[in-house]
Order: sequence, then C-alpha cells, then structure tokens
Amino acid sequence: MKKIVIVEDDVGIRTELEQLLRNAGYLPYVLQDFKEATNEIIKQAPDLVLLDIHLPYNNGQIILQNLRKKTNVPIIMVTSKNTECDEVLSMSYGADDYVTKPYNPNILLLRIVAVLKRVGESTLQYKDLDINMQKGVLRKEGKEIVLTKNEMIIFNYLLNHQNKMVTRDELMTALWDSDAYINDNALTVNISRLRQKLKEIGQEDSIETRKGIGYILL
Amino acid sequence: MSIKKFLKDKLYILIPSFFLLIFLSLFFFAFKVDASLLIVTLFLFIALLFFSLIFDYIRKRQFYKTLLTNIEQLDKAYLVLEMINKPTFYEGKLFYQALYTINKSMTENVGAYEEQVRNFKEYIEMWIHEVKLPISSLLLMIHNQKEKIDKKWLKEIKRIEDTVEQVLYYVRSENATKDYLITEVSLDKVIKAVALKNKDYLLENKIDLHVSNVQFKVFTDAKWLEFILNQIVNNSMKYKRENVEAYIKIEAEETNDKITLYILDNGIGIPTSDLPRVFDKSFTGHNGRLKGKATGMGLFIAKKMCKELGHTIEMESQVEKYTKVSITFPKNRFYEVVR
Repeated sequence: MKKIVIVEDDVGIRTELEQLLRNAGYLPYVLQDFKEATNEIIKQAPDLVLLDIHLPYNNGQIILQNLRKKTNVPIIMVTSKNTECDEVLSMSYGADDYVTKPYNPNILLLRIVAVLKRVGESTLQYKDLDINMQKGVLRKEGKEIVLTKNEMIIFNYLLNHQNKMVTRDELMTALWDSDAYINDNALTVNISRLRQKLKEIGQEDSIETRKGIGYILL
Repeated sequence: MSIKKFLKDKLYILIPSFFLLIFLSLFFFAFKVDASLLIVTLFLFIALLFFSLIFDYIRKRQFYKTLLTNIEQLDKAYLVLEMINKPTFYEGKLFYQALYTINKSMTENVGAYEEQVRNFKEYIEMWIHEVKLPISSLLLMIHNQKEKIDKKWLKEIKRIEDTVEQVLYYVRSENATKDYLITEVSLDKVIKAVALKNKDYLLENKIDLHVSNVQFKVFTDAKWLEFILNQIVNNSMKYKRENVEAYIKIEAEETNDKITLYILDNGIGIPTSDLPRVFDKSFTGHNGRLKGKATGMGLFIAKKMCKELGHTIEMESQVEKYTKVSITFPKNRFYEVVR
C-alpha cells in the first residue's frame, strides 16, 4: 500500500481527504505538527506528499523547497491560491503537480495515480496478457490485439482498480482528463468494443457490469 | 489671453485716466499754459500708462498661457503644478498657493480611497480563499458518500464555485495592479481544465464537446484564460437550443502573426441588435430576460481581462443557428528574437 502524507491545516478538508485516500486504497498519514513539518514528513518516508501552501509556521512553498533539498519524494501542491504566479513558483521549486481547491476528488485521485506512475515502476500485466501502453497493444503468446486510445484509457483505469468498483463517472473523468471528450453513448460503445477485443484474446467476461453503478475488472 | 479682454478688465484705470487727462487739459487751458507743455505732459502720461499696462499684460500672459496649454495637453490635468513656474506677481502667487493647497487635499483624499479599495480587495481575495475551504470539504464529503448523495448537490456547489470565481476575477481585473503572469501556455491544457470543470453539466444535458486542432502555445496567463473560456462555455451551455443535438466546437487556427481560438455552438444565438452590447457591463439582453439568472458580468469581465492580456475577443451570431466567439492571441516576435 502506498503511503501518502497529507499536509493540510483545515480540519474539515483533512478528515475528508483522509477518508477519500483510504477508500481509494492508499495509506494516508495526516500531519499534525506543522512546526517541524519538513522533518516530520521525511520521518514518515511517504510515497507521495499532498502539500497545502497556506499553513501555520512555514508556508507550503518553503516546506517544498526544504523537502527538495533532502528528498525526491513526489509532491502535489493542493491549494486555494490560484494565481499563475503561485503555480509557476511551485513547479520551479520542484513540485510534481499543482491542483487548486476546490478540486474534483476524482481528478485529484487521477493526478496521484499519474504522479506515482511517473516515478515508480509499472510492470503492466493482466492475467496472461502483456500490455504495451504506448502502442496500445495487448499480447498473448504471439497473438496481438490493438486497442484504440480511448479503449486503452478505459482498460488502464480498470486495471489500476482491479477487483474494485469503478463508476462510469470515474471512467469519464479519466477519459476527459486525456483530452477524449466523449459522451455517454460513446463510453458504452467503447466498453463493449473493449469487451469484444478481450474476448477475442481469450479473456471473456473479465469486465462485469453493475447496473446503474459501474464496472469491475475481475 | 486676449488683449481686448485684458484691457476691458483694466477699464477701472483707463476711464479715470481719460477723465484725468480732460481735467488736466482744461486746467492747463484755464491757466493759459503753453500748448507745447500740455502736449508733452499728455504724451508722457499716456506713454507711461501704456508701458505699465503692457508690462502687466506680458508677465500675466506668460503665466496663464503655460498654465492653460499644460492643462489642455496633460493626460492628468491635476499634475499641472509640476509643469509651471511660480508666478512673479502677487495675485498669481495667491492663485498658485491656492492651487497647491487644493491639489494636496485632493491627493490625500484620493489616497484614502485607494487605500480603502486596496484593503477591500485584499479582504475579498482572502475571503474567497477562505470560502473555498468549505466548498472543498463539501465536494470531498459528497464524494466519500457518493452512494447516498444525489448529483444535484454537486450542481448547486458548482454554481457557488462559479459565482465565487467570478467575484475573484472581477476584483483582479478591476485593479490597476498586475495580478497576472504571462507565460507560454498550451491551449489544449487550458481547454482540458475548462472541459473537466463542466463535464457533468455537458454530459447530463447531452451537449457534445468537440475539440480539435488546439495543440498551440500562446502567451497568456493560464488561470485568466481558463476563467475567460469558462465564461464562454457556460454561456453556450446555458443558451443551448432544445430539440437539436447540441454541441460546442472548440478549435484553433494559426496564421502568420496570430493564433485564433474559436468556440462555436449551435445554441439559440443572439439577436443582431444585442450583439454590439454583449460585452457591456450589466447587459443581459434578450437572452438574459428569456432565461433569467443572468448578471451581465461574465462577458464584461472576460473582455476586460482579454484587453489587459492583449488578446482580442469577438462574437458573431445568428438567431436560432449559432454563436461563435473568437479569441485572438498575437504572436510575440520580440520574444522569439530574444530567444
């Protein structure tokens, strides 16, 4: 389980954020003491840090600079300060991404996945299938299936949440986040085509439909 | 300063002098003084009188002429005192002193207002950052209980968010201080942010979004541009036509000296009579009355921000057919040369 440190001084947000991350299968740790923020964060040895800018004692950008002197841990700035200047500064101090409040929780989760993936290793495999993300190819013992961009985004999202419920809304967010602004019908069509292709390569019934809620990749 | 009016102003000297001369002539005549003495006296008197009047005219003319031309030419007329020399004559000195005092009191007064506006702006910005915290909390809460909570809650929260955002950018664009940062921005990134923001509404109302050919870089402030596009897309969504397959098309085009971004919808359109005024403050027009809930602020702020950033924004439309907004980003040659 990936450990994520939440650095946020608003109690309401921080509790909900903790629950959101726990539900998404991460191990959240909420920082309580902002005085020694930098050292506290390093002591936790997290896989990722969610860092607010407006904090008591030191502001987030200073903590960010201090962290960068000592560690390469992925950092996402989460803040209500939304001037271009703040964003450019944060990125230049070495933040991996920048999300402004109020954010869509699905998008925050997508960003976390993206940043973690950028850093970590990604051995992509599903059962007996080898997956080449860049080319959009599924391979099995010499047999090859080519997925379209949209099908690959959907498959990839389902794969990242294997054996968990994925709502249509989450899939939609993932697609739109990759510049594929498709509508509801197109999503249905894409999923049935993906099912068809998986069937062709011997993975029948791997995507289960939960009516009115979403899908599960088994 | 006209000499005629100046002399008219000096009648109180000229008339007594005229009578004085007549009396003097009669007097000399009565005492049988030699005529040549009379002529010399009269000549001297008149010469001295005119000499002093002309001297007075010249120095006053000099002062008032510089004063008036400066007032006319200066962009900020109240700065005129910096441009003129202190006059040498008594009335002028009084006048100058009075101007100086008035100016000082006005500057103080304006300063107090500026301070007030700045404080207010700071408070609003702070308040907006504060109010975003409970909004974020609410969004997270809804997400964490998504099985139990209706989507319409999200819609209302989005409305709050949009209104709050509008206030923030209004305050930012109203102010003379530069609250933006121009960098090289990818158009597709900004469009993506706007699309994600409006995803739920677009899907729910079956409005298709077609984005093509937007892989361009432009010089702008990403946050400001996002706000501007959001205003336009919001209008397209709000004024969609029923009974047709509604769509919003976003595409860009590059020419020699500029990049133009088009946002096209097949909505209810805008009457030709309303078109020239859509960017005016508080203008709601025919469509606004139709749907209600229009503040007439969105496009006004958008236009203002475009002007500040150096973009041009234009709108064309046909009722019951389409509305097309174009935003033009000039290419910055200077920047390329420097690089």
